[in-house]
Amino acid sequence: MDKVTEHKWDRAALSYDLMSRFGPERRWAPAKRELFSHMRGPRILFLAAGSGLDFPFFPPGLEIDAIDISARMLEQAQPRAEAYSGTIRLQHMDVHDMSFADGEFDQVFTSCTFCSVPDPVAGLRALRRVLKPGGELYMFEHTGSRYFPFKLMLKLMTPLSQRFGPAMDRDTVSNVDKAGFELQWLRPVYLDVVNTLCAHNPG
Amino acid sequence: METRPYFIAGDLFSNALVGALAAWAAASLVAPGWPMLPAMFAAMAVGMALAMALCFFALVPLFGAMEVMLPCMFGGMLAAMGFGMVAADRALTASEALLGGAAVGIGALLFCWLFEAWLGWRRNRG
Repeated sequence: MDKVTEHKWDRAALSYDLMSRFGPERRWAPAKRELFSHMRGPRILFLAAGSGLDFPFFPPGLEIDAIDISARMLEQAQPRAEAYSGTIRLQHMDVHDMSFADGEFDQVFTSCTFCSVPDPVAGLRALRRVLKPGGELYMFEHTGSRYFPFKLMLKLMTPLSQRFGPAMDRDTVSNVDKAGFELQWLRPVYLDVVNTLCAHNPG
Repeated sequence: METRPYFIAGDLFSNALVGALAAWAAASLVAPGWPMLPAMFAAMAVGMALAMALCFFALVPLFGAMEVMLPCMFGGMLAAMGFGMVAADRALTASEALLGGAAVGIGALLFCWLFEAWLGWRRNRG
């Protein structure tokens, strides 16, 4: 378990809902609802669960394993998991060190996760390991930009934002490719900095 | 493109507020007679710091994350730079800085909207 990252998100858990619950979640609700509508299973992994703000967007009646590196986040997520009409199993786990078997899942979903994973390519390779060959990776992520002035601003913000939360300048789409996934589609949500994507594990 | 009235109004309010306060802070910091280049960079730093603080502590929780932060940071930076340079040349009144800064903030938002429309047009074109 990466203790530095765990501690950072344990601290962030104190104000996470206050920051994200109203504005960001409502703003992103249509894109998230569309992304999570692809949840079919039968075995689904969701990371990082955070405080469970995404659970209301999940289609009803599914069985989902949800992990997070922060125990405090998971404490907050527990009542939201219990309110879900299917089953959400919350587990305290680091993506770099997951205890799941190889090829255990049919689908993996992430939501604003790879802005925070310390080694994103290694984290994505770990997801490939637990995905079946042909399994699907769906992501909702904010990334860096290719365009001035946004690229510059996101780079300037990152040293500060990374101290207490996410990096703002990650190249997640390239990282998905570097980890060996095959990109199926990429849909922009805002400029080129908030996107949803689907990739397949070629096996 | 965002079409929900609450978020459109929120974007307009956020960008006008950040632009106005960034320009006012820059005009308060820089006095006539400052060399132009240091005035511009000092004002830019103040504008970006102010925009970041306003976004994190007030505007993001209400209106959205990147959709608020990027235009506000851009507008705050531009408004502070511009009015910092003007303040190095001549004294500015608070209302000049506030109104002018709000206009720059709205301009930055419009730029982001147009940029997003252009990206969409390029994607659709293949």
